[in-house]
This record gives sequence, structure tokens and C-alpha cells, in this order.
Amino acid sequence: MSDRIFSVGWLAVCLVIAVSMWQMEVPFSYEPVGPKAFPLLLAALMTLCCIVLIVRPDAGSISVDSPLLAKGAMLITVLLAYATLFSVLGFPLSTALMVMSVSRIFGGSWATSTVTAASIAVGSFLLFDRLLEVSLPLGGLFG
Amino acid sequence: MDNITNLLGGFQVAIQPLNLVLASFGCFVGTVLGLLPGLGPINGVAIFLPLAFALNLPPESALILLASVYMGCEYGGRISAILLNVPGDASAVMTTVDGHPLALKGRAGVALSISAVSSFVGALVSTIGIVLFAPLLSNWALSFGPAEYFALMVFAVATLGGMLGGKPAKALLGCFIGMSLAMIGIDSGTGVYRLTFGSLHLSDGIQFIVIVIGLFAISEILTMLEQTQAGQNAIKLSGRLLFNAKELASSAMTMLRSAFMGFGIGILPGAGATVASAIAYTTEKRVSDTEGTFGKGDVRGVAAPEAANNASACGSFIPMLTLGVPGSGTTAVMLGALTLYNITPGPLLFESKPDVVWGLIASLFIANVLLVVMNLPLVGLFSRLLSIPNAVLVPAIAAISFIGVYGIHSSTFDLVLMVVLGVFGYILRKLDFPTGPIILGFVLAELMERNLRRALSISDGEIGVLFESPLSIALWVMATLIIALPILLRLRGRRNRNQTVSANDI
Repeated sequence: MSDRIFSVGWLAVCLVIAVSMWQMEVPFSYEPVGPKAFPLLLAALMTLCCIVLIVRPDAGSISVDSPLLAKGAMLITVLLAYATLFSVLGFPLSTALMVMSVSRIFGGSWATSTVTAASIAVGSFLLFDRLLEVSLPLGGLFG
Repeated sequence: MDNITNLLGGFQVAIQPLNLVLASFGCFVGTVLGLLPGLGPINGVAIFLPLAFALNLPPESALILLASVYMGCEYGGRISAILLNVPGDASAVMTTVDGHPLALKGRAGVALSISAVSSFVGALVSTIGIVLFAPLLSNWALSFGPAEYFALMVFAVATLGGMLGGKPAKALLGCFIGMSLAMIGIDSGTGVYRLTFGSLHLSDGIQFIVIVIGLFAISEILTMLEQTQAGQNAIKLSGRLLFNAKELASSAMTMLRSAFMGFGIGILPGAGATVASAIAYTTEKRVSDTEGTFGKGDVRGVAAPEAANNASACGSFIPMLTLGVPGSGTTAVMLGALTLYNITPGPLLFESKPDVVWGLIASLFIANVLLVVMNLPLVGLFSRLLSIPNAVLVPAIAAISFIGVYGIHSSTFDLVLMVVLGVFGYILRKLDFPTGPIILGFVLAELMERNLRRALSISDGEIGVLFESPLSIALWVMATLIIALPILLRLRGRRNRNQTVSANDI
């Protein structure tokens, strides 16, 4: 069942690709094959694969239990927040917050996650920014 | 003779202090990543690729680091397979079959040491194979025109989806999804923006590293949520830590046979170490299991898959180095690494960048020796690492992934895109899509499109040029066979089954 849902969704993506390629205006070029051909070919091949999956899906569906779903949603939120706050809050602070939350989500105690957060945030900043010269943002708080 | 001279030159590159340090570091970290269930070679290489690039390592050093991580992972997978009955990476699945029973009998040390030696033999045979065959193949590949290249890549995609894939429709769809992702951004031929939907951030296309880390590190983190904690029921090492002469003698032929088999499978574009270890194990069982001890803890049952998967991992460097067409998901990532350095992989690589190619090959020898030396005495240390709790491991992986991606363009957009792609990759994995084809597709798309366009502009749009030379015809025929044969066999199997059913009914 999940195969079918995904395939129908991906058929819509194929349609978007096809329409967007079709409408694209291409300046005159001497090449016989322009930039439209290959993406259109891909859209056609993907449509074919999706149809095969709709007609003959693999048995079974994804079963998701709600505690796992809740944890997954939390994890994704934390990672997205980390991504957006990375340069705003600076690496040490945002990393400490991320490590703390992720560690808690993965069942770490408050003590474990606090120690892990502090050591990863400070340790990796010193290692990468100071020692290995990969420049990381320090953020307004420290900079 | 030329090969020997070149190889010696390669050793000069590989024994530079920086490269030796990187190789030892890569071997150690690779073994650790390999033994942790869930993290395999492709994740390991994916996590280290952006770091190598952000650290401004020269291309040969970056490749040496990535190759040692790759080989280390193949070594590490067996440790958790034997002690935990959980394969550390997919190619160690077959190692659990005999490895864990051996550990239960108190012979974990024997299983671990014999598998370390098998890994060494497998990788050694295969690396010698690279030295012998890669230059020949690259010479031959020099005569490939765009049409032949296009056909070769069609063959690679077909191998992926064909009999070696297991789920043809999903492997192919995954590969095409990867190709579509590669279409986003400016078209190099005409300068038009494709599929950017007006976004300025997307006009340069999706960075290779963002895709790799998203698909292989972020989605792995999400997958790890479902795992139960590792490390609780690992079997303690006890008894002899080293095999005896009799055990070594009984499995010596097994190692060699499996190594050759693994090498052959590794060369095929699209077929990887997992397939190699499965085929080697079943063959070995058929050939030498006269007393029915396979599956109950036979040292040969551990030797076969380990020799094969290491041989295959090294063998998959051949298509990557000589043809520029990767043989596995992991070598696809490394191919991407080369393009990040503006090095075009392909047959010319042996002439234009001999230090990179031969440095890499020489470092495979060095990494292999380092790994076997590291793995025999340090196995106790490695097995204790199995008890790192996910609450410490996962946030560390997340932080390193973000550092790597941020270190390249300092772009917040890339970080967000990486997480989004990670969630997409997670959904695909939940649906049982193999992830290797996606990254292979992403890497092949540009090459494929460029060669198709070049071939057709030479022929002025006449499509027959793709099927003109004997070589391209042969490749097209093989590609068709590899897709069509399993389908035909299945149809025939079904008809036979139907007949037996109706016969039983009467």
C-alpha cells in the first residue's frame, strides 16, 4: 500500500518536471539535443517505474507506532532548528542545544546528555575551528 | 614493468607522513564505523568527504583517507556480526551465519582472527588485480567515444536494476530520482536554469556533499531511532584469540576462491560487496561443506564472505578509476570527491594524474597491512566500542555532519536542504528503496547527459550513432539481457508452478 501512495505522489513530481521542462524557453543553440531532452526522458522512465510499482507493489505496508512517530518528529524539528540557528546562535551554543536534545531523544539521562553536550560542543569547536582551521560561526553571544 | 615503476611512484606518495597519518586514522575510524550496526562504508565515506574537503587536503590525501575508511568499514562489519549477531554493515550479513555460532561455542577469538586474515587475503588479491588490470582497461577505454560511454552507463544502470538488485523497479526508480536531482540548476550546455523554480539558492544545483550527507548521515540518524540499544548482549571474548595452523590450512583455499570471486563481482559496475559475500558463501557451502557444518560454526563459513566482500570493495575501484563509472555506492561518493577537486575521472586519469591514481592504489596495500595489524591485537578494544550508547554516538554524528557541510560554503540554506533531503532519504529507506542507486544516479546523470548530447551532435541528431560500433551494440545487448532475463525466468517459473498446481489438483 505504501508503495502505491509513494508512486502516485512521485507521478505528480514527474508531471511537474515534464511541464516545467516543456515550458522552459531555450535560446537558440547549434546542438541537436537541447537541455530538455534528458530530463523529459527521466520523467518518462520514472513514470514507467511508478506504474510498475502501482500495479505490482511489494507486499506489506510501513507500520509506524505513535511513540516512534512523535520521537521522529521531534528529531526532525531539532535538526531543522539546528540548521537554521547554526550561524545565528553560533556553533558552540547551537551545537550544545542540539546535542542535549538529540541525546535526550535517544534515551540519555540528563547527566549523560549534559556532559555529552558540553564536551562535543567545546571539543569539536576547538578541534575543527582552532586546530584544523575549518571556520565555524561563533555567534553574537561570544563574538 | 611500467606498472611496477608506477606503483613504486605511488608508494612514494603514500608513505608521505601526512598520508600515512591519514591512512592510519582512516583505518581506525573506518573499523569503528564499520562495527557500529547501522553505519557502513557509505555513511563513513560520506561523513568524511566534506571534512577532507573543508580541511583543504590535496586530492590524493583526501582519496587515501576515504579509501582507508572504506576498507576499515569492510573489516569492522565482521566484529559486530560475530559478537552481536548483528551485521555492522550490509556486506557482513553472511558473516553472522557461521560467525555467531562460533562465538557462542566460545571460539569468538578464532572467528575474529580468521576473518581478519580472510579480509586481508581478499583485499590483497584484489589490490594486486587492480595493479595488473586497471592500466590495461584504461588503455582500452581510451578508444571509447561518447556513444560507447553512454552505452556503458546504460549497462551500469541496468546491472543495478537487473538481477543483482533484488527489487528492480525500486533500484531503477531510485537511480532515476538521483539523476533528476542532478538536473536541478544551470545547464552547462546552454546556460538555462532547469527545475530551480525561481530559487536563487538552487541555481548552482544541489551540492554533491549536501545530497550525500543528507541521504547517508541524516537519514541514518532517523533510522537509528528504531534500533534497540546495541552493546547489551555482546559475547565476551574468551578462549584462544588466534586461530591455529589447522584452522588456517582448512580455510586457505576458501579464502583464495572467495577472493577471486569477490574481485570479479566488484569489477562489475553496479554489483557490490553484499552480493559478492552472499555468492561466495553459497558457492563455498556447495563446494566444501561435505559434513554439513556450515551454518553451525564453520571457520570456512566466516572466511568466505569476509574474503569476498573485501575483495569486491577493492575491485570496485577499477571501474571508478579506469572508466569513471563507479561500481558501488561508496565508490560513487569517491568519484564525486574527485569531481569536487575538478579532476575528471576516466581513462585519462592514469596519464594526467598518476600520483593520485597510483598513490591511491599503493595506499590500499598500506591500509590493508595496517588494518590486519590493527585488527588482530586491538580486537578487544574494538569490541568494547560496541557499547557506546546511541545517546552519545548520534549527536556526535549529527555535529560532524553539520560541520562538514557548513565548512564548504558556510551556507545555512545547504544545512536546511541537507535535513530535508535526509527526511526524503529516510522515507525512501522505509519504503525499502536501496540507497546506493540514488547516489550512483546523481553522479552518473551529468556524465550520461553530456555523452548523449555529444554523441548526437557529432552525428547531427541521428540517433543510430548510439548503436553503431560493435562495442556499443554488445553493451546494449548485455544491458537488455540483464533487465529482461530475470523477468523471463520469473514468468517461466510461474508457469511451471501453475502446471504443477493443476497436476496436483487432478
